[in-house]
Amino acid sequence: MSKTESIIDIQNVSKFFGQLRALDDVSLQIGAGQKYVIIGPSGSGKSTLLRSINRLEDIDQGRILVDGKDIMDPKNNINRIRMELGMVFQNFNLFPHKTVLDNLTMAPIKLKGLSKKDAEKIGMELLHKVGIQDKADVYPTMLSGGQQQRVAIARALAMNPKIMLFDEPTSALDPEMIGEVLDVMVALAKEGMTMVVVTHEMGFAREVADQIVFMDHGKILEQGTPGHFFESPEHPRLRQFLEQIL
Amino acid sequence: MKAHKNVKIDIGDGAAIPHHKDRGLFNAWWISLIGAVTIIFCLIILKPDPYLDILKFLPDGVVVTFQVTILSILGALVLGLFTGLGRISRIRPINLLASTYVEVVRGIPLLVQLFYIYFALGQLFRELPETNAVFIFLKNMPPLVAAVTAMSICYGAYMGEVFRAGIESIDKGQTEAARSLGFNRSQTMRFVVLPQAWRTILPPVGNEFIALLKDSSLVSILAVADLLRRGREFASVSFDYFEAYTMVALVYLLITLILSKGVSIMESRLNYYVQD
Ligand SMILES: Nc1ncnc2c1ncn2[C@@H]1O[C@H](COP(=O)(O)OP(=O)(O)OP(=O)(O)O)[C@@H](O)[C@H]1O
Ligand SMILES: [Mg+2]
Repeated sequence: MSKTESIIDIQNVSKFFGQLRALDDVSLQIGAGQKYVIIGPSGSGKSTLLRSINRLEDIDQGRILVDGKDIMDPKNNINRIRMELGMVFQNFNLFPHKTVLDNLTMAPIKLKGLSKKDAEKIGMELLHKVGIQDKADVYPTMLSGGQQQRVAIARALAMNPKIMLFDEPTSALDPEMIGEVLDVMVALAKEGMTMVVVTHEMGFAREVADQIVFMDHGKILEQGTPGHFFESPEHPRLRQFLEQIL
Repeated sequence: MKAHKNVKIDIGDGAAIPHHKDRGLFNAWWISLIGAVTIIFCLIILKPDPYLDILKFLPDGVVVTFQVTILSILGALVLGLFTGLGRISRIRPINLLASTYVEVVRGIPLLVQLFYIYFALGQLFRELPETNAVFIFLKNMPPLVAAVTAMSICYGAYMGEVFRAGIESIDKGQTEAARSLGFNRSQTMRFVVLPQAWRTILPPVGNEFIALLKDSSLVSILAVADLLRRGREFASVSFDYFEAYTMVALVYLLITLILSKGVSIMESRLNYYVQD
């Protein structure tokens, strides 16, 4: 294991879907505890980049190191690496055949060998943290979108990951529910979690991000602090993009 | 939630009993049931000789029919699970093997498969030396074993399609969520995909069960004493062909009517799950 400053080290990564270059020589170093927000127009490769980090997509060129481990190296068990990488999806993807609490305890029990009792204790604490402890025994389909997404965040946290990846966590929500999910994410950020967040919520980016990354056509076109991004964006494509969404 | 589309699997062959959408006493199901029961009653009351004798003679056959059906469906479920998994496998040879199995089995009539296993392979088996228990067993392969084997292989192919469709009906996001938590492929299948897929799989399996029960009448050709065979035996002794086969047909009808109702009740129970 090589010693490295960054907990996520993306080196010259390219990814093709057939002829389409979804990621084009992308490099990005993210330090432990940092919060990165990725923005960019639709189809720019934001999801592909995020999904490459936990290898839901296999990259074609370059390297990605997570906590020093090359995720494409067959010697490194990808399932172990994924336990360090929580992921939250746009569509929540809760397990509908399991209660809310079972959604949280399933992975720790089966993968970490936790006892049901211990897993449930941790699960209840997490549900408390995301504010839905009273829904522990209901099935996910009974919950609102905002509640489901909070459960999804808690489910990822139940594995006690070092890093959390968010792919447009509020895009599928009714506007009045966006706040409750963002609040949970802000709280998580304050606890020092390393976070990579694809989002169109510029308020969140401004408040939480250490660095904002702007992608277009599979490339990172600009990267900088929120101050830089919102006060003095350089790339014309970025200016155009910000004008559209702000 | 997007995760749960209520996917009806229509595999064409096999699933023969339609769903009973129309309610009330005057739908085809009730008419058939009441009709069958009434006719059986009238026959045994008005003409107990031979109808009552036939009715007493058939239950042993019903038991055998259920034996063949249940054993075959269990065999078909196991084969079907592996075939379904094989059909979605990324490993090319496994995928090809499963698809070829489905293709071949679908292309050969069940009756021919039965003949092939019992008579054709049976002939080869009879030339085996009596050197071990397996050979000795195969040499004297009981017709029931041949019947269940053939029916399992045949229905396993159809069941494979049911499993494949059931697995594919589960949203890709479910797999991604499980994988992102650290579950490997087979854990994801066992803990996340299959427990959800069975709701889609179960109704067509029920329909396959009914189709299999009816097709099991073919095994009477191999001297398995199922319902049809019992009727035939009765007729060949008493020469009451009309009476015996009338009773056999009515009993098959009763059984499949009851089972098909069971399947549609099960289906509606399973639907509670889909609430989006
Ligand atoms: N599985 C796939 N097969 C083929 N093409 C894909 C696949 N996934 C993504 N793409 C293509 O790759 C490009 C990048 O997609 P990606 O989903 O990463 O974009 P995105 O920035 O997340 O967009 P959005 O804001 O719409 O979510 C797009 O052109 C998309 O159509
Ligand atoms: Mg996306």
